[in-house]
Amino acid sequence: MPQLDLEKTLRRIKENQWALADIDWDAPGREMITEEQWPKLKAFMADLTWIEHIGARGFAAMAKKAPNDTLREIYTWFHAEEQRHANAELALMQRWGMLEDGEIPEPNINLRLTIEWLDKYSDDMPLSVLGSVIPMLEVTLDGALCKFLLDEVKDPVCHEVFKKINSDEARHLGVDFHVLEMMGHGPMYRLALESIATAINPKLLLGVAVYFPLLNRMRDNIVTMGLKEEKLYEAMAKFEKYGGETPEGRRNPWYQIMRLHGKWVIDRKNRFYHAPVDAAVKASNYIPKSWLPAVPSWVNKLTWHTTA
Amino acid sequence: MTTEKTTRAQALKAEPKSRTTARTSATTSATAGTATRRKAAEKSGEHVYDTLIIGAGFAGLGTAIKLREAGVHNIAILERAAEVGGTWRDNQYPGAACDIPSNLYSFSFAPNPNWSRSYSGSKEILGYVHSLVNDFGLGSLIQYQQNVSRVEFEEAQGIWMIHTDNGKVWKGKAVIMASGPLANASFPNIRGLENYKGKKIHSAQWDHEYDFTGKRVAVIGTGASAIQIIPELVKKVDVLKVFQRTPAWVMPRPDFSTSDLSKKVFAKLPFTQKAVREALYWAHESMALAVIWSSPVTRLGERLGQAFLKSQVPDPWMRRQLKPDYKLGCKRILVSNDYYPALQKENCELITWPIANIVEKGIRTSEGIEHRVDCIVFATGFDVPKSGTPYPIHGVGGRELAKEWQRGAQAYKSINVSGYPNLYIMFGPNSGPGHNSALVYMEQQIAYAVKGIRTILDSNLKMLDVKPDVQAKHNANIQKRLAKTNWNSGCKSWYLTEDGFNATMFPGFATQYAAQMGQFDLKAYRQVPVEVNA
Repeated sequence: MPQLDLEKTLRRIKENQWALADIDWDAPGREMITEEQWPKLKAFMADLTWIEHIGARGFAAMAKKAPNDTLREIYTWFHAEEQRHANAELALMQRWGMLEDGEIPEPNINLRLTIEWLDKYSDDMPLSVLGSVIPMLEVTLDGALCKFLLDEVKDPVCHEVFKKINSDEARHLGVDFHVLEMMGHGPMYRLALESIATAINPKLLLGVAVYFPLLNRMRDNIVTMGLKEEKLYEAMAKFEKYGGETPEGRRNPWYQIMRLHGKWVIDRKNRFYHAPVDAAVKASNYIPKSWLPAVPSWVNKLTWHTTA
Repeated sequence: MTTEKTTRAQALKAEPKSRTTARTSATTSATAGTATRRKAAEKSGEHVYDTLIIGAGFAGLGTAIKLREAGVHNIAILERAAEVGGTWRDNQYPGAACDIPSNLYSFSFAPNPNWSRSYSGSKEILGYVHSLVNDFGLGSLIQYQQNVSRVEFEEAQGIWMIHTDNGKVWKGKAVIMASGPLANASFPNIRGLENYKGKKIHSAQWDHEYDFTGKRVAVIGTGASAIQIIPELVKKVDVLKVFQRTPAWVMPRPDFSTSDLSKKVFAKLPFTQKAVREALYWAHESMALAVIWSSPVTRLGERLGQAFLKSQVPDPWMRRQLKPDYKLGCKRILVSNDYYPALQKENCELITWPIANIVEKGIRTSEGIEHRVDCIVFATGFDVPKSGTPYPIHGVGGRELAKEWQRGAQAYKSINVSGYPNLYIMFGPNSGPGHNSALVYMEQQIAYAVKGIRTILDSNLKMLDVKPDVQAKHNANIQKRLAKTNWNSGCKSWYLTEDGFNATMFPGFATQYAAQMGQFDLKAYRQVPVEVNA
């Protein structure tokens, strides 16, 4: 992807803001959700809402690490936009009768663990790590899930909402890959040394321990809901394609690490990777809820109400 | 000068009402004849004042007092409002108070033993300003509702012409520009501001008639005014939504009410109050080590700020939102004991999402929600002239100050600008204190301006104009020193222009500023005498 003019991007972000109130949530179309679809869709939307929050929390941390004011401001807006996407998805759930009044769907255990990690450690992570993981997650999960949703759901309001969400996401990915490439600048030895120093950080290793099972869990959930596994892998391949388009992008050690990891995820025959990670997914089912600390207070800001 | 002091000392012993009357009548009888002649000359537009002062706030009134002490009586103060007080007249929002202890935020030559609190509220400070007018008999000098529209130097005669909105032209040999840096309210540049149909209030133009009880209210801004308004509003309103862009360093405020005993001691033994003032001065001077330059004391201050935040805000996410990510001192440090608790009240919500736009019924933020409110309070500060002037000022040869300041304002010793002779700018470029009382700086500026004006009158000068090379050298030195300060360490603040030029702050101790202003070096000025035959 070509280098971006960040100032112009920031201007566009400000010009293209939309609000929940811009959408007619009572417009016809809710009846297009079939009874068979409904329970699967409810679980799917719950996951999607929380995945938006992984992006949101990531951007919040990146705003603190941004190397300049413009990028800092962009990440601050992106943080809010991810929250807007989560709010809009909740509003869809509300429209489809999936929420009791005031109810916020619960995240699955692996999402919960990832959020816990993000909340505790992401502010301490260098931009190089966050700036590589976030695009991978956005391309993979967001991309695949949204596509699936639009293939399956006929409700026009859902399409209207995701048209807006996808337009925001396109800008997010533009900046994501711009930064991925930006971090590939500089002498190779310095990039490598910095990456090694970060990779052996225990906080990061803990992050890996929650991130790997999350991807496998989402893969399983997607398959359960009827999405072909390949669609997820196609989305993952996009990360490799866009991130590796320029020599600088390819020189970023974190791009290479994420790419390699993506290959392991895609290769279901790779038992060395999948056996322990799948076991971790299963094991996480047994973590008692009482062991988890209280959800961070930012969770309470989620709302499907258009006005407050 | 002695007479003035004696009269004031006697007056202070008397009851306030009789004090005022005694003082005013004494002044009136002494100048009655001159006043009649002056009025006639004013009417014909011919009267030339020795000095015209723009603004009847602290600086304007203080200068008038000191000019008269120096024997300059042919002066007038042009005030745009119908009342004195400047910033303290305008800023009467709920909770308005000073961040500097009252004993230090008052003139050293006019101590007030009766301050009710260690940090006084705006009403009490405004009362003090009024007492200056009464005690020093300044009432007859003030020309109210004279809103300055243009200031021009008439080179042939060496006279400044001040044009006011009502069509009047005031003439003066010298001008004191005491309109203040915090004179013009600033509204933020937010899309759709004009579409909002609810009530809009700026902190500096408070609407005392508006009843906040049971209302849904938004406060935009979390600076010095906001953190005083929020704890007061939250007590009255139904819902308060606080929109924060950048969190500030907030420190505890050692505020307490003063005892009757201390008031009596201060009144009977003035040297005790002087000693307290001196102690406060040096305590604030030491803060420069934390505020102005990055030092171990800065780190210590930051730890104090963080500990204060932690002690008042238990929720980690809220703490994260309130924790500044710039050096202590880079932006103005705020002091408040009740701001953080107010934010955590049930009816209060801190919103840190960027504002997308303002619509008919409220504020839309980028998380997609429309926050509906009955009233928006703009605690968005002032339009501080870092690169312009509050009204056009034309100097020698018609040159315009705003144009010359486009890339950042600069002056000689913050008070004179080359090409604009006999003009003294109070709180001009690079005079801002970050750690000590503004009035300490102001007194130095007043003393300097009085020396300048005395020189003009004594030597019968048409022009006393600072030399351009002297001004340039002074500013190069100031900017070199500023580069090493916290203000220039990377954050965005009202101290800096968009390009990051610091035309606001003085890079040093108040003591250093006093030393700078204490030397009136005539060699720095071009002196043009009035032609004898003119």
